[in-house]
Amino acid sequence: MSILKPFRQLPGLNTANILLVENEEQLQVKIADSMVLLEKIININVRLARNLPLPVDKDQSRPRIDLVVFIINLTSEMSFSSAESSLKYLDPGYFLGKTCFMVSNARNSSIPPERLISVRKLAASLHCPLLYAEDQTEEGVVAAAQRLLAILKVAAGLVPMVTGFYLSTLTRCTVPSDLDQQSFD
Amino acid sequence: MGGNRRSTRHLRDVIDNPNLGKWNAYQLLKAEEDAVSVELSTFKEQFKAHLSELFRHVSVKIKKHSDDAIWIRVAWGDNFSRPNHLKPTYVVHYLQTPYVFVTGLSQKHKPMLNQAMVLATRYTSIKDAYLSGKNLIAIRDLVMKQYQQVFPTNHPNPFQENNPPPTNPYIEKEQAENAENRQRVACEAFGSGTLPQLQTAVYKLETKFRDDTNHIMTKRDEPFRGVVKFTSSNLLESLRHSVSSGMASSSVTPLLSSITQKGRNYFVITDKGLGPSAQTPHPKV
Repeated sequence: MSILKPFRQLPGLNTANILLVENEEQLQVKIADSMVLLEKIININVRLARNLPLPVDKDQSRPRIDLVVFIINLTSEMSFSSAESSLKYLDPGYFLGKTCFMVSNARNSSIPPERLISVRKLAASLHCPLLYAEDQTEEGVVAAAQRLLAILKVAAGLVPMVTGFYLSTLTRCTVPSDLDQQSFD
Repeated sequence: MGGNRRSTRHLRDVIDNPNLGKWNAYQLLKAEEDAVSVELSTFKEQFKAHLSELFRHVSVKIKKHSDDAIWIRVAWGDNFSRPNHLKPTYVVHYLQTPYVFVTGLSQKHKPMLNQAMVLATRYTSIKDAYLSGKNLIAIRDLVMKQYQQVFPTNHPNPFQENNPPPTNPYIEKEQAENAENRQRVACEAFGSGTLPQLQTAVYKLETKFRDDTNHIMTKRDEPFRGVVKFTSSNLLESLRHSVSSGMASSSVTPLLSSITQKGRNYFVITDKGLGPSAQTPHPKV
């Protein structure tokens, strides 16, 4: 099993590498383009994948991944299950502030509410932040890219006095214990 | 005569706008020796003669279109009334091919039209090609394979090294090879580029019910009859996309790829054959 490890390589100078994992391979492309365009000071490298494990033949040439983002489209159950099954290919070191979840279509009324609750429980159990993205408009994509850039810079160690672990304790997803009984009446 | 000019104009209008109702494809079988030498004027003469012989009260108009298609408009009457120009049958045939496309034909007139067609084209018989659709050009392109086909090869991208497509150096796809493979498999099954616009594919099941946990159903001797129907505004495009995007988790089943490989969209599946039965007798509706 080829597990992605966070500290296998040395960091690059003024560089941050992010891995976007999305089953549908749609939103990740838009966010990648946006992130590369927005950031002028730091070198941003974006790697796109559909799921983990990543192909072994690229292991040597792959730089150190500072942040892994799982993009889950709430309208598809397969999106969630694919992200879930990719988790086991991630070294536990990534769950100390180097992983984050992003969901899209959370406002869609036709999705079963249990799915979002499951994603929240998953993110909370792994102590990871959960971001909500609006993928239908350009502003939404830019906003999502900006938020990921902020987290990425911290995770890559490019923000002084702040570490990824510290940030994640502030931003991690929490699920109140009475969530299952919650109703919106 | 006024009626004549009107029906000619109708024919021209329909040629320009052929997507009325449902078109069915038929295939002519067992050409006679002189089938290859049938040309337009002979065909016109023979068809009109044979049809009038088989059915007296018809009005037939034949026109050759710029793409070498022969368009035939038949208005049917009976012993008591003149030919009805409001419900004509349209037939399209490309000479030197065994395919005939028909719309607006009732069961009553079908045997006569088929017979006239067979005799005029110098073939022996005609059979249902099990292909239908709203779009004439689409079913024509599908059955005559006039879309961009992709054939399996050991060297899928022979010239890629010389001109790699431009990519952003900061963005890298980890599983690009998988995506390329999926795209190639999808195109091999369904074609690449613009695909013929099919609306439906129907699979009629005449197979025995198979489920180890349900004994009531498996005890029966007779087959479990069911119909699986796929509909879409562009069915082949949807199927190709579902394979190339990885939504379909395994390789393309021959049941679906038969739509393009065999050029039909109606299949009867029985237990004896693996996949669509090629020797299906005309299905009993």
